[in-house]
Amino acid sequence: MPEVEFTIDPETGKLELHVRGIAGPACDDVAKLARDLLGAPERELNTREYVLRPRVRPQLRARSGRRDDQWPS
Amino acid sequence: MSKYLMFQDFVLKDRRLLLAALADLGYTEVEEGEVLPLYGYLGDRRPETAELVVRRQHLGSASNDLGFARTPEGYVPIVSDYDQHALHGGQFLVKLRTAYSERVVEEVRRRLRGTARRTVDGSVVKITVRF
Repeated sequence: MPEVEFTIDPETGKLELHVRGIAGPACDDVAKLARDLLGAPERELNTREYVLRPRVRPQLRARSGRRDDQWPS
Repeated sequence: MSKYLMFQDFVLKDRRLLLAALADLGYTEVEEGEVLPLYGYLGDRRPETAELVVRRQHLGSASNDLGFARTPEGYVPIVSDYDQHALHGGQFLVKLRTAYSERVVEEVRRRLRGTARRTVDGSVVKITVRF
């Protein structure tokens, strides 16, 4: 399950944010939301999971000219 | 983990969240307007102006007006030297950032339609938002 972990240090006011469980640039949407509310971060790192692309499953399609809804049940 | 961001001296970008954070610190009387004048503890007009102002009557007898000037980057606090040391034991800006951060977390949780789990480790607060 995707999650965002916020760490707030009340003694310094520092805020850290980890976005987890979202492979690929989709996590930029969450980062943008944070930037919209907090401005530009002093540090920003893309970690290993970031460079993974969401996997797209191939779909089999009929090649005989029949439509899918014409296949016998 | 896919992304890490760290904010230290962040600007207060969102007016609504800033007002909520001020209310969390006990400042519910906030004047809003354009280019509002700021006054010192003697009633003297100060050179700065702001768009959000907590008047000195709501701060302390020797306090000056507390302002927040709107800039393209966000709201910038205008706090006199005296008040930086006097308000909240000299921790006013740190406490305001902390309160603002808490409001940011709630706003992110709301927009992502997630659930929040809060833990405290020493003085550090961790809030995990799952969505």
